Amino acid sequence: MLDLAQIYNGYYLEKSLLSVMPEAVLIIFAFLILLAGLFSNFSKNSVNSYYLALIGITFSFLYLFMLSDHTIKGFYGSIVFDKFDVFLFTAILLSGFLTVLMSKNYFDTRNVLIPEYYSLILFSISAMMLLVSSINLIMIFLSIEFMSICAYILTGYLKGESRSTEAAMKYFVLGAFASAFLLFGSVLIYAATGHLGLYNIHNFMSQQNYKLLYHTYNVHTFLVIGLILLLVGLAFKMSLFPFHAWTPDSYDGAPTPVTNLMATGIKIAAFGVFIRVFTSIYNFNVFNFYNILWVLAILTMTFGNFAALLQTDLKRLIAYSSIAQAGYILLGVIAGGYYGISGTLFYLIAYVFMTAGAFAIVIMFENLNLTSVDIKSYSGLGYKYPLAGAAFSFFLLSLAGIPVTSGFMGKFFVFSAAIKSGYYWLVIIALLNSAVAAYYYIKIIVKMYMSDNNDNSEQIKLSNGSNNTIVNTVNANNMDLQTFAESGGGKTALTETVLLKSTTSALIIAVIICLIFTLILGIFPQPFISFASRSVTSLWNI
Amino acid sequence: MSIFLKYILSIIIFFPLLSALILVFVNKKAEGLLRNLATVLSLVEFLLSSFLFIYFKSNTYEFQFVERFSWIRAFGASYFLGIDGVSLFMILLTTLMTFVSLLSSYKYIKDHVKEFVILMLVLETFMLGTFASLDVLLFYLFWEFMLIPMYFIIGMWGSGRRIYSAVKFVLYTLAGSLIMLFGLITIFILHYNQTGNFTFNLLKLYNTNIPLTLQIVLFIAIFLGFAVKVPVFPFHTWLPDAHTEAPTAGSVILAGVLLKFGVYGFFRFAIPLMPEAALILTPIILVLAVISIIYGALVSIVQKDLKRLVAFSSVSHMGFIMLGLFAMTAVSVDGSVLQMINHGISTGALFLFVGMFYERRHTRLIADFGGLAKKAPIFAALFMIAVLSSVGLPGLNGFVGEFLILVGSFKQYTVFTIFATSGIIFAAVYLLWMFQRVMFQDITNQKNEDFKDMTFREIMTVLPLIFLMFFIGLYPDVFLSRINPTVVHFVNIIEHNKYAYNLIKAKMGLFNA
Repeated sequence: MLDLAQIYNGYYLEKSLLSVMPEAVLIIFAFLILLAGLFSNFSKNSVNSYYLALIGITFSFLYLFMLSDHTIKGFYGSIVFDKFDVFLFTAILLSGFLTVLMSKNYFDTRNVLIPEYYSLILFSISAMMLLVSSINLIMIFLSIEFMSICAYILTGYLKGESRSTEAAMKYFVLGAFASAFLLFGSVLIYAATGHLGLYNIHNFMSQQNYKLLYHTYNVHTFLVIGLILLLVGLAFKMSLFPFHAWTPDSYDGAPTPVTNLMATGIKIAAFGVFIRVFTSIYNFNVFNFYNILWVLAILTMTFGNFAALLQTDLKRLIAYSSIAQAGYILLGVIAGGYYGISGTLFYLIAYVFMTAGAFAIVIMFENLNLTSVDIKSYSGLGYKYPLAGAAFSFFLLSLAGIPVTSGFMGKFFVFSAAIKSGYYWLVIIALLNSAVAAYYYIKIIVKMYMSDNNDNSEQIKLSNGSNNTIVNTVNANNMDLQTFAESGGGKTALTETVLLKSTTSALIIAVIICLIFTLILGIFPQPFISFASRSVTSLWNI
Repeated sequence: MSIFLKYILSIIIFFPLLSALILVFVNKKAEGLLRNLATVLSLVEFLLSSFLFIYFKSNTYEFQFVERFSWIRAFGASYFLGIDGVSLFMILLTTLMTFVSLLSSYKYIKDHVKEFVILMLVLETFMLGTFASLDVLLFYLFWEFMLIPMYFIIGMWGSGRRIYSAVKFVLYTLAGSLIMLFGLITIFILHYNQTGNFTFNLLKLYNTNIPLTLQIVLFIAIFLGFAVKVPVFPFHTWLPDAHTEAPTAGSVILAGVLLKFGVYGFFRFAIPLMPEAALILTPIILVLAVISIIYGALVSIVQKDLKRLVAFSSVSHMGFIMLGLFAMTAVSVDGSVLQMINHGISTGALFLFVGMFYERRHTRLIADFGGLAKKAPIFAALFMIAVLSSVGLPGLNGFVGEFLILVGSFKQYTVFTIFATSGIIFAAVYLLWMFQRVMFQDITNQKNEDFKDMTFREIMTVLPLIFLMFFIGLYPDVFLSRINPTVVHFVNIIEHNKYAYNLIKAKMGLFNA
């Protein structure tokens, strides 16, 4: 048995290793998956690597749980494991866990390498966790690159599909651009302060004689430009408005489970590191960054919502809506303080469950091949699949921020924090934005429940056609579907059983997890709020 | 029994939700069973809620049947329920109207019966929760979620432009509610800044000192939320659409219960939280109320569609209720609370009759009817009673409420009241003229020859409402004696604040006339 106290007080190397234990476990399992892929045949690969990935994430959870009471600094002050990490790691691991669950049957009909896929997922999760726990500008840059490279590959994972490749290319080019900004910003900050560690920069800035700093013309300029460039680099990853351009394309082109990982995991990691950086080195009187941020927040949510209004493709719609959500989350950061940051963290974890739930249902329908991701093809689905339809509506209502769901509690928390800090107009604009957002979420529900029945017959014909094209699949589930489709289709009694058969239990488990947490976070959020508030205490300068 | 009474509010609120859960497990093919079970369960619910009436102490304004549990410590929100004379009758009205509307939809709702009855029962839970909560966050939770079942009811079982109407209904109300949320959060934060405690306890929030300018801003924000629901004149445009396209049961619930939330919100939240702002803005709100009365009535006169006519008459009647509430005398507020009940009963009944017309003839145009009294005498007689109750004939319920409102407001706001009185005359015009065109004259349309009289179920649907029309009309004291202590307390709070208000008035030189 591992004696934590002994190691904790012990040698530096062990301490360093301990500080990255949850990430290290994931990386080990990622390599294991690759190795196991060599020694088994192709058909077993997918199942083996799927289970290995789940086990890896579970082990990482276990380590996280064991270490959760400790604050460990490692690698000469470039990595820290503290309470703030515990919260964000939980969110990231949950997002990864749900992504793996969703991936199980997604690639059955697509010809891709399965073990590599799962190992990349694990690598990217570990990169997100490293990013959150970095407290050094170089480490932040390295982890962002690590995370992004995994994400580029995963986005383009559907080799044959031009959309996926195009998305990966766009994402890569813009992402590389963002990394350059980030790096340049770090360089300038280093030039101005002579430090790379956030804690050191913080100390440097708080001890500086401001008058001296202002008069030292170059230092001040370097610092301001550096901080702005760093903000730009991070804003890319958070997909804030003028830097959002990669989001819709790559969300749309990527395989849907990967889209889920990008929408939840990467967003959490980006916001996590942003909170850390912002609370430690942006709080000084060098330049009023709050003014920049609230303009960004307003632009982000307004643009995201109005662009989402125009979308006809479900994945693009969710992509734009996720841009808008980033605006709401930013509100919490702007509000700042103990209350505001707790609100942000709470919103992030609520956001994981509602977004992942929505994506799980999208995948469910995609796997059935009954629908494309065009919203039109969702007409009447609410009647054909009452349970899936109800769950989807619930997630959409949560994204819209209707009470009884986690989305409402998150919004309420963040908005009340912003009012507490005196940002009245910002909150009014955000609330009006929520009203706009409600329209496009409700539009999908309208399609599912209230469209004319005439569309349905066409829909079945379409699905019939698409099923015949995948005759080659060995998947028994799809065989069922095919026989069903050939037998004429349209018999609603059959469709329910078809959904149950061809939707894997993994996907159903993912939906159920998301449903339960979305409901609990909406009705009894107290334990999660306490968790979030506790984790905020480990940030400096709050 | 004592435990039952201690948790009676929770039991009443969550019984419909539990019923809905039971119905989830019934096979959706067994439509008859679903309908009967839902109706019986909603009747049980109504009987349960009658315990509130029996055990209600009518000599106090204090909240009764109070339940309080810690809910979200971080926000100081608690599960805090309690009712007074006003919410008592709102709860009874809700349970009654839900039962009636479930009973009325046996023929009207033909497909997706299971979803329909479940949604109705879920809706009932959230309506009851809204009337019973004394915690602002809890109230908001119930208040806003209520939209969703109603939206599905309009959108899935409505007629004509149902999707347009449903979406319009949700967006209007949601936008209003969100702006209201801003107001509520700001008061919550102000209270925190003053006392250092987070609390959503309404009774504690009443004591928040809000600076006057901020009070006016917040009152306007919260006003928007409630005014959309009432609806007051410029915010009413969702109502005719939603009412007209909704299925009968939806219209009955909308008119019978949902519109009351706006007025109830003013009574429970807006005015006591920000009394000075309410007093300052009263003239403006009264102007809007009088415009609602006259505009609603005039538009009703020219309607060709029966349901649209009743819908616009709602705008007019709700104007009366707003007038009574904002006149803020004990008599007028008494009248306006009573009129809330009356409007629910009368307009609910009118919508039920319109639904019966539609089920028989699949049209709602007044011109398609005529001479029906000969073919359907019971129908004509009962319909006549509902119409007269809505017109305000002495002896029926509408008269008592309107009379109290007008008497109470006359001394305070003479000119407004005189204008408002014309609304009663117009009501007689549009309702009686409509009745004449539909029921009397000769049969011009051959299809009306085999117009069937009411069935036993239909009579049972409207009978409780007809009974209440007479009961309130002849012996309103049963209601008024329970409402009055609460209303007197409410008016006392306002009077208490009038001193401060008069000082402000003198300072600002407002309304010197």
